[in-house]
Amino acid sequence: MRDAIIETRGLTKLFGAQRALSEVTIDIPPGAIGLLGPNGAGKTTLIKCLLNFETPTAGTARVLGREIRPGERSSRERVGYSPEQDCHIPGMAGCEYVTYCGQLSGMPFRKARQRAHEILDLVGMGQERYRLVDTYSTGMKQRVKLAQALVHDPDLVFLDEPTNGLDPSGREHILRLIGSLRRDLGISVIVSSHLLHEIERICERVIIIGGGRVLEHDSIAALKERHRRVVELAPSGEPERFIAALAEAGVAVERLSNGRLRLESPTESAAWILTLLRDHRLPPAEIVANPNALHELFLKAVGGAQGATATRVTPPPPPGPGSEQASVAAGAVDNSSNDGRDA
Amino acid sequence: MDATLDLSRWREAPLGVMHRRWAIVSAGLRQLLRTRFFRIMLFLAWGAGLALAVSGFLFTQSIASGGWLESFVSDKGPRAQAVVSAFTAIVLVYPDIVIGGMFSILFWLHSYAGLMLSLIALSALVPSLVTRDRASNALSIYLSRPLTSFDYLLGKLGIIVGVLVLLWTGPLVASWLLSMAVAPDSDFLVHSIEPLGRALLFNAIGLVALAAVALGVSSISRSTKATIFLWIGVWPLTFAIAYFPTTPEWLSAASFHYDLNELRSAVFQIDQVAAEAAESLPLVDRGIINGLQHMADDVGATHVATTLAGLAVLVAISLFVLLRRLRPE
Repeated sequence: MRDAIIETRGLTKLFGAQRALSEVTIDIPPGAIGLLGPNGAGKTTLIKCLLNFETPTAGTARVLGREIRPGERSSRERVGYSPEQDCHIPGMAGCEYVTYCGQLSGMPFRKARQRAHEILDLVGMGQERYRLVDTYSTGMKQRVKLAQALVHDPDLVFLDEPTNGLDPSGREHILRLIGSLRRDLGISVIVSSHLLHEIERICERVIIIGGGRVLEHDSIAALKERHRRVVELAPSGEPERFIAALAEAGVAVERLSNGRLRLESPTESAAWILTLLRDHRLPPAEIVANPNALHELFLKAVGGAQGATATRVTPPPPPGPGSEQASVAAGAVDNSSNDGRDA
Repeated sequence: MDATLDLSRWREAPLGVMHRRWAIVSAGLRQLLRTRFFRIMLFLAWGAGLALAVSGFLFTQSIASGGWLESFVSDKGPRAQAVVSAFTAIVLVYPDIVIGGMFSILFWLHSYAGLMLSLIALSALVPSLVTRDRASNALSIYLSRPLTSFDYLLGKLGIIVGVLVLLWTGPLVASWLLSMAVAPDSDFLVHSIEPLGRALLFNAIGLVALAAVALGVSSISRSTKATIFLWIGVWPLTFAIAYFPTTPEWLSAASFHYDLNELRSAVFQIDQVAAEAAESLPLVDRGIINGLQHMADDVGATHVATTLAGLAVLVAISLFVLLRRLRPE
């Protein structure tokens, strides 16, 4: 793949007898990429290997075109990292800490200080920046952690659970910010998270890791395409009549706790549902095509990985128009998940 | 809806690794200088340096030909003038013994103050070297930058060097320069160079030992209290044990403070200075000669090889522990 920001070839990491990464071969193009996987899947080990925190047992890796080798510094010059756990340098105020992180990346003091204040504005830190980081709340620590990862204007940033501990408005703010990093600044973002709807919202591609292997790597649109026959109906009223009409048409229906009806479409198009509604004079309904695709794909991939052998993943070509999710022909169509069933 | 980003870009080539290491050193020293405790230590250290400079000044002005002592006794009668003239003559005939010996003693005494203040200051510094970085996961922040564990280590070492320079080497060299600036002739410069070199050599030995042990102790635990307790354990406690009358020599050598005291005697060679003075100087008073010979016996180094080996083992263990701990957790 041309212009890959990350390239790994047979990357393997063993911790004693435990195989944390198993022959991971992957090319990741620029963009916003979600890194998914159950606990212990190898996500953090992969990030640590790419940041050169851990020396791979076998295989090679390149980040932003620079090979990862023990003692190599340059591969991290344009990389930012916001770890999952709290991390700060004790005894420093927020702005001092972010400035210091800029200096550690090779920025001159004045430029680092200027960028630190700009980034702290961006992550929503006000006068709190002049307080010691030790006294910050979890949400503020999360913001300052993101600020330190961005202060040196990286080309690639690894964000490990970036919205942990944030209140809803803070979460919304940070998600918008992350979404804008790629669009406005061209910064590639790799987000490791358990919150699939957040990944779905801010990422273009997704990598699913399980048992130290890459199970899936594709654009979200292409992944959803594989599940597009699943449809959810949100009737505006008379759900019993809907169920009866669908049963009459020979379609198995599952009634969800949020009042929606879940069914599998026998055809690629959902036009038959509109016909059904018209024929049975049913009230209007919201048709949600392919809800929770990522969630299901995640469970399927992780479940399917049990006992599977090492997989070599070659990413598919960039998604073309055909792989994008087509809109359902009629009715109110929503591609997002709305039933509140996060992973 | 996405946020609109309004910020400057930084697309320049990063400054070199020396700049990044210096950033660690300067930030560490800045944090330390904010504490009242360290400012008190600084005050005491430079006070000791000033005392050293004043001693040097009084010494150079007192015994030099044409100095204030000669002027002072000019109206005190011929006996006093004769005594002062005799002292001045001794300096002229034996400048190496008198000037070199006097500065050796001054620097030797100052090394006690410098080492003690450095040790006390390190008690406050040790937890902030590696312990707190480990406890707050700051190692992930450092090592996710274009820095290696070695750079991080050098930065932390630089902080210790900075502390020792501020509390020990700085006052020592500044006081010597001040003494030389007001010295009446170049003999004082020529014959005080060697004692200064010895003082700096001991300073360097102290730096290596203290830096290694402090970094090693700091990296053992993630708890500040445990680190301070360990530091107290390896410093005052082992020092007290080392001087217990029945303590075997090998156990005494396990105290780096004891080892440094022994090495101080070996480096400054105050015993030789005293012996040489007792042997060479035409001192009429037998009591003075006996006193100098007693002094030579008391301050001589006795177990240099053992203490050197003990110090080397301590440094090696400290570095081993340190390098094992320097990775993000």
